Amino acid sequence: MTPPLAAEKTRDVFWGFGTLVEILWYVLAVASVVVFAYGIGREVAKYRRGHATFLPPRAELPGRFVTGTRTLLSHASIKRRDPYVGWAHRGVFYGWVVLFIGTVILAVNTDVTERFFGWRFFKGNFYLGYSIVLDVLGLALVAGLVLMMVRRGILRPRKLDYARPDRAPGDPQYDRGIYRRGDWVFLGLLLYLALTGYLLEGVRIAMDAPGYNAFSPAGWVVAQAINPLGLGDEALGVVRRTIWWSHGLVAIAFVAAIPYTKATHMVSSWASLVLKDPLAGKRLRPIPEDRQQEPAGYATLGDFATEHLLQLDACTKCGKCHEACPANATGRPLSPRDVVLELREQSNAALHDAGVGGVLGTLLHGDGRTGSARRIVGEDAVRPETVWACMQCNACVEACPVGIEQAPIINQIRRRLVEEGELDANLQSTLEVIHKSGNSFGENRRRRGRWTQELDFEVKDARKEPVDVLWFVGDYASFDPRSQRVTRAIARLLHAAGVDFGILYDGERNSGNDVRRAGEEGLFEALAEANIATLAKCDFQRIVTSDPHSLNTLRNEYPELGGAWTVAHHTTLLLELIDSGALDVRDRLAYRVTYHDPCYLGRHNGGYDAPRAILRALGCSLIEMPRNRDNSFCCGAGGGRIWIPDPPGAERPSENRIREAVGLGELDYFVVSCPKDVTMYEDAIKTTGNAQRLELRELTELIEEALVGAPAAAAVG
Amino acid sequence: MILVIAETRRGELRPVTLELVTAALGLKEAAGGRVAVAVIDADASSFAGALAVAGVDEVLAVSASTPHFEAHHTQRAVEALIEAEQPALVLLGHTIDSMGFGSAVAARLGLGFASDVTAVSWDGGPIATRGAYGGKLVAELDFPGHERTLLTVRAGAFDPADAAGAEPAVRLFDVAFDPPLTEHIEFREAATGDVDITKADFLLSIGRGIEDKDNIAQFEELAERLGATLSVSRPLVDAGWMSNARQVGQSGKTVQPKVYLALGISGAVQHLAGMQKADTIIAVNTDPDAPIFGVAHYGAVADLFDVAEALEQHFA
Amino acid sequence: MKVVVAVKAVAALDDEAELVDGDTAVDPDGLEWDLNEWDAFSLEEALMLRDAAGDGEVVALTVGDEEAQDSLLACLAKGADRAVRIWDDALEGADPLAVARVLAAAIEPEAPDLVLCGVQSSDAVNGATGVAVAAHLGLPHVAVVKRLELEAGVATVERELEGGLVEVLRIRLPALMTIQTGINEPRYATLRAIKQARDKPLSELGLDDVGLDAARVGAAAGARLRRLRHPEKGEGAEMLDGSPEDVAARIADIVKERMSA
Repeated sequence: MTPPLAAEKTRDVFWGFGTLVEILWYVLAVASVVVFAYGIGREVAKYRRGHATFLPPRAELPGRFVTGTRTLLSHASIKRRDPYVGWAHRGVFYGWVVLFIGTVILAVNTDVTERFFGWRFFKGNFYLGYSIVLDVLGLALVAGLVLMMVRRGILRPRKLDYARPDRAPGDPQYDRGIYRRGDWVFLGLLLYLALTGYLLEGVRIAMDAPGYNAFSPAGWVVAQAINPLGLGDEALGVVRRTIWWSHGLVAIAFVAAIPYTKATHMVSSWASLVLKDPLAGKRLRPIPEDRQQEPAGYATLGDFATEHLLQLDACTKCGKCHEACPANATGRPLSPRDVVLELREQSNAALHDAGVGGVLGTLLHGDGRTGSARRIVGEDAVRPETVWACMQCNACVEACPVGIEQAPIINQIRRRLVEEGELDANLQSTLEVIHKSGNSFGENRRRRGRWTQELDFEVKDARKEPVDVLWFVGDYASFDPRSQRVTRAIARLLHAAGVDFGILYDGERNSGNDVRRAGEEGLFEALAEANIATLAKCDFQRIVTSDPHSLNTLRNEYPELGGAWTVAHHTTLLLELIDSGALDVRDRLAYRVTYHDPCYLGRHNGGYDAPRAILRALGCSLIEMPRNRDNSFCCGAGGGRIWIPDPPGAERPSENRIREAVGLGELDYFVVSCPKDVTMYEDAIKTTGNAQRLELRELTELIEEALVGAPAAAAVG
Repeated sequence: MILVIAETRRGELRPVTLELVTAALGLKEAAGGRVAVAVIDADASSFAGALAVAGVDEVLAVSASTPHFEAHHTQRAVEALIEAEQPALVLLGHTIDSMGFGSAVAARLGLGFASDVTAVSWDGGPIATRGAYGGKLVAELDFPGHERTLLTVRAGAFDPADAAGAEPAVRLFDVAFDPPLTEHIEFREAATGDVDITKADFLLSIGRGIEDKDNIAQFEELAERLGATLSVSRPLVDAGWMSNARQVGQSGKTVQPKVYLALGISGAVQHLAGMQKADTIIAVNTDPDAPIFGVAHYGAVADLFDVAEALEQHFA
Repeated sequence: MKVVVAVKAVAALDDEAELVDGDTAVDPDGLEWDLNEWDAFSLEEALMLRDAAGDGEVVALTVGDEEAQDSLLACLAKGADRAVRIWDDALEGADPLAVARVLAAAIEPEAPDLVLCGVQSSDAVNGATGVAVAAHLGLPHVAVVKRLELEAGVATVERELEGGLVEVLRIRLPALMTIQTGINEPRYATLRAIKQARDKPLSELGLDDVGLDAARVGAAAGARLRRLRHPEKGEGAEMLDGSPEDVAARIADIVKERMSA
């Protein structure tokens, strides 16, 4: 005979508890909240060490909150490049959030509305709906956790061993066992909570047989396993109480511990997404107004921006940046993840030194008593070679699901190293050369326009007459012989298409993009101000540049210094000319090519499509490399690294990239659209022994070939 | 009269001394008077034989009170010689030793002065030719208002005189020395390393133009292909990229190979001093005004990496 | 520990420099000014000595017109405590001995423990001024120092001789030394530091302030420049034209021919 349905659709929360026991429970719950609150306060104390100069203004916060939360809920940044993780995390996230909200609802009902107002809403259809949702989401939680455990335990991606490239096996800081174990404990505890939850539900159903089993399917299944055991009510009652307490204590301990464990990311990662700077890495921050007399950049935690300190806690060690980093991929002692973790460890250690008193002191007085004077760079800390290995390619910033700004943080550390004279001798002399001659080649500034002499037409001087397009050429394009061939090709095409363009001749200086990224903020400002002053006197409709590095700083960073113009890459202009028919090149070439997205055109400025459209228009077939578009692999020249010698013997990022291209099979050309790429890849094709197999072309050279044919193009170059 | 100050080190007469003798003898007729060579050394008289050049009228031997060159002593001795002999012209080699006292003598005695002179002529007084603006230009100087002039002469600017004549008269010249102001501790030889570039017939020499340390390997390979020995200019040694056993120049080695192929070397005076006697000098540099083109037999204004790469094709 | 560093702003010719004034000068537009490379090393050595001593002062001094101002600021930016510029138009064209006399007059009241100069300047390449200053000041001196260690007022130095030979000797302070390149690694002065250096003390002195009169130190007092000219390219400095490939082919021919002979 089927047991009768329970009279009321509800359940006992504190089943079989005496008053004292209930009180004990509340005391523990309150204690948990206090510990949680202190933990949050402690994190806030850490962030208050920093300066809030660049936090978004109040007015923007609601909008940021919406955007950040939307990103989180959609899991857009988490599932990117890794759908498996996307699903696993959705399961855990939604499972946990819904169960947590469910617990809160229950608490509101039991401890507030029922207790004080006599109103119990935890019943009836509401209860049934509640019950089914939680049962299903609980399963999602379990499924997500299992997927993660399988990934970690069986699939074992390399990045999850947390091995750090900036320490050698003998070093005391090398072992990352504590992180691995901590993550297993974290997953294990959550799984424990989920499973004990179902077990509890199953025991309740076995004991009470309330019916409505369709709304507690998982619990019902568990109950079916329990019933055959033939345990009497007495025994079941003991089991039920035991599991209840076990589940309850672990749950409130877990919640209390959130700010002290990996679980922090629930709060900090969300906060980081909300405060995320959409221009991170594209537009670096100037020296704050109130710090003009201080040394620049980060030497201690007290120098950090608040949002950067928060970001240190937002890291979940997922390793997406670690995988994307070209320095790490070529064996350099840099993983962006490890910079963040190293700084986090220092941040926590400093806090630990300060003790509870220090934390409360900071919260109350904001006086930074929480140990912010320790140097962040050192043999046992972030090492200089780590900081200098970075190419400022922004792959880490792009990959991070929670909005951490690894590359900008590294840039700030560089600023202080440069000021203290801790920089490679070659970089130092290049900066001195740029200061003196306005270009990184040490050439007399009057030679900047010499490349035009081999053209059979005059290129207008944009300082002297109005032009439609002001072409900002850039250092490499002006002075490097191989790149000069491309520059002349661009000039010939623009001339053939009847574009009204001009250049600045010796009025142009190095744009400063890489000088800034190398950490010489003062020199960047001087260069930018000089260029802005020159540009301000010119009469033009827009700036076009053939150098993605210049593009980035002209478009994103010059406005803050007073120079805001429309800036486009030369491929955009060339595409316009092809589309309008001014350059008649459609379907003239049938090459098999691959295209390398330059970091500063692609990742930094979203310029992926124009070059591809050009290749399509030309009739070429484009075979994409596995790492393309926003996942493009840096050639290794950025961040001033083109001015710093590579460690001998190591594979260069450009060589790694060429091997990737060669792996695609038969190709006619490796196509680039950045002058530094031209230099780096011409070299890498040779040093990897692929000179017979692969040839390099800049996009413009292909267009010119389509226009005038191959022999003519080669002769004119 | 013209007074030549000889330079000795560790018992040897340094070659620049005989070059100074050539310079002095070339001016003897125009200037009128004698040519004397002063030797300041613990064993000064023993060098008379080495100075047996026809036209040298006497050797003034100053017995040094220290076994090795001491700048202040030599300064004192030269001042005393000038005060006693009243030469119209004093010639020193432009050497590390003379940089320690030459200008001090001229300053204290109020002499006319020019250093690193590459040619001297006479018109009532000396007319000296030297470099200007790092050797990119040439300057002609004279010294109106000075009865006596001291010049330091670039090593290698004159050919050494032949010591094949009769031994000149030796006159002992006494100088009252004060206690020395520096104390000699020891000499240390240069790092010999595994290579003696002075013995090589063909030197491939690289300079600042190679830009970074990483590029050295490429030129080591090129040198091997060419059958050349790799040598370097000073900046690469200063930067710690190469040992100074391979350094060509005034403070490195002086070489005289059949072929000296210089890539990315601008030709600072100190470097030229070490290689300008090579039989065939070929220089590649992106700067058309690089001083090295002044001594090279063949030159090219080109990118050294491009040329180096193309060169590989011609040698197995 | 007070160290005076005598520095010089040197002029580099750019390729379009023209001779003017009857070929006795270069058109100033064709000159680019910079701190003498050797002086970066001597300044760095001075800064290191001061920092090792724990306290002290480094004073950078130069004889030069306004073009020398930036070089002095660079010295201040790198860490010199004070800078002094001495100039009078009568000093235009002064030879190294005249400059040395002026420098000595300005240095004397400073009563330093050590005076450091570069071995030579990259434009005039005299290699003479430093030691002449020592003569005027009556200071013991060592020229062409490639290593310097100081202990209790006695310096042990290495003098860099021809052919890579080195002489080790000792000299008691106060003294003057001329410093050779490669002795240390000169530090970088950021542009911010150069801007902030404008707030550091920089005094300007004339000939009267150092007690000299123009007649003794002007151009007329020393060597006279009769004329400047471009160097002859030497016999048979044949320039090879064409692409790098052409050049390489010619070089290969020359080499093979000379080496087989």
